[in-house]
Amino acid sequence: MKKYVSESDVADMAEYARIGLSDEELPKMTADLNGIIDELQVIRQYDLTGVTPTFHPIGDLSNVSRGDEVKPGLTHDEALKNAPKTEDGGFVVPSILGGEK
Amino acid sequence: MSDIFGTMSAAQIHQGLASKEFSAAEMTDAILSGIDAADKSIHAFLQVTPDLAHEAAQKIDQAIASGDFESMGPLAGVPCAYKDNMNLRDTHTTCASKMLENYVSPFTATCVQDTLDAGCIPVGKTNMDEFAFGSTTESSVFGPTKNPWDQTRVPGGSSGGSAAAVAAGMVPVALGSDTGGSIRQPAGFCGVVGVKPTYGVVSRYGVVAFGSSLDQVGPFARNVHDAAEMLNAIQGRDPKDCTSQQSAKDFTANLDEGVKGMKVGVVPAFMESEGLAPEVKNAIEAAAKHLEDAGAELVEIELPNAKAAISAYYVLGPCEAFSNLARFDSVRYGYCDEGHKTLAEQYEASRAKGFGAEAKRRIMLGSYLLSANEYHNYYYPAQQIRTLITQDYQRAFEKVDVILGPVSPCTAFKLGEITDPATMYLFDMFTVPVNISGNGGMSVPLGLGKDSSMPVGAQLICPAFGDENMFRVAAELERCYGSNTVAPDFASAAQANASAGANASADGSASAAVSADDQKGGTR
Repeated sequence: MKKYVSESDVADMAEYARIGLSDEELPKMTADLNGIIDELQVIRQYDLTGVTPTFHPIGDLSNVSRGDEVKPGLTHDEALKNAPKTEDGGFVVPSILGGEK
Repeated sequence: MSDIFGTMSAAQIHQGLASKEFSAAEMTDAILSGIDAADKSIHAFLQVTPDLAHEAAQKIDQAIASGDFESMGPLAGVPCAYKDNMNLRDTHTTCASKMLENYVSPFTATCVQDTLDAGCIPVGKTNMDEFAFGSTTESSVFGPTKNPWDQTRVPGGSSGGSAAAVAAGMVPVALGSDTGGSIRQPAGFCGVVGVKPTYGVVSRYGVVAFGSSLDQVGPFARNVHDAAEMLNAIQGRDPKDCTSQQSAKDFTANLDEGVKGMKVGVVPAFMESEGLAPEVKNAIEAAAKHLEDAGAELVEIELPNAKAAISAYYVLGPCEAFSNLARFDSVRYGYCDEGHKTLAEQYEASRAKGFGAEAKRRIMLGSYLLSANEYHNYYYPAQQIRTLITQDYQRAFEKVDVILGPVSPCTAFKLGEITDPATMYLFDMFTVPVNISGNGGMSVPLGLGKDSSMPVGAQLICPAFGDENMFRVAAELERCYGSNTVAPDFASAAQANASAGANASADGSASAAVSADDQKGGTR
């Protein structure tokens, strides 16, 4: 089978997608992706010159805005209810830049 | 007693409540114990919601007592199950993923709320492929659902739990979602009616997104009329989903009109497809003949670009999924792998452990396809192919009112039979073009295949926002093939009483017949 992506490509993609892949997972994921990408080649063989793309089945979408009125919504507690870690009414995350907290 | 309700249609349950043959409390108890019994082997449910069900039943009984029930509409008192990607306040919404295993919905999806407003009794949330990625329900992190017709086989997917729950008589109706066939294919595999409405007919608000330009919610039922009533309830414009459209149709209106004078398109190229099982081909040809005998005109049409649909779909779907699944950040909700020094490490570890194999594959594929080097090789051309496929349908529907074809190239496969992802994707060949264009499609049971003795489904495809056309033809097929069929292992002698539109009653004789069957099925 043709190789579209290498293990090193897949490792880069995993980093971009923020999915940690172990060294053991890498070969299988690479093989799976190459198998799938091979099935996608049909569209590259099409002559699509002059064909306008359709990005959405409903063509005339526009942004919807509503009046600036208070409406019922989630309470602060409800919005935080599913958070793995909270503190003082906020979400808690580890250091963003890599330094100690 | 649960078996009696299990074989009754939504309309029959509603009617039985209206005529006070049984109370909503009594019926709900029986439905819940029926689920309890059948689901030990089928595993259609990830969560049963007895408290919510009893609460809703109590309201129905109050309405019956006060005389308000009659004004409540045809779904009042009808038990309904929801695919577990639909938010229902205070229930878990897991998407069958470890990522959302502990998530509790703080709000209710519009489609779910619509059924509750119509008086449906919410009995639980159903199993699915993880995040709806799959065609077998095997990728559920909580284990697969079994096909009620043969428990060594898959129910299809991704809405396999909803289809199996309806096919096994656990509920008369359920909701599912369909991104590439996830309502129609399991409906076909389980021998029930499944409807993917035209994109925009039903609000997607509160349904966990997979492919936002492809996803559409729709009903499962054991007959066309019940499915039409469900779509009546959930259709229409929702300010919370800007893609939802004004729609206030009565999809039951033309069910008795017959198909005389209708033009039904058949696609010769589909019928000659490599991999189309002879039993499916024969069943579709027989269905076409039935429609012709009933007065429809068969018209051969071409959908020349359908051959690129699988490739386009497996570009568009993963790209949209890649974007939608970026929201699972282990911070606001969802699985969190704790103890990491940096946020990036926490993201990577949480998403690595929270997502299953197929979800990871699709996210990774989306990541590749949307990368700067590949965008113009795949994503952009896939959207151009969407134009061609849409034009194919537009041209076809200048000539015909509906298109008839297979749902899937074969009947339900064995659990574990197909493991290669690329091979699995090819089984979606007849369903994905409809999601790409946005047209409506539905699956209607055609009885059992001659070789596999498993249900075969016909797919009816309609012009965009002409969903009533496919309901009309579906009703004609139902007149030929029968309705309200429950998988034999779960049907009782009472089924004869409940089927073919006869008004079932929970009288002594039927109960006695069920009791005899209880011993075999081990109900309660």
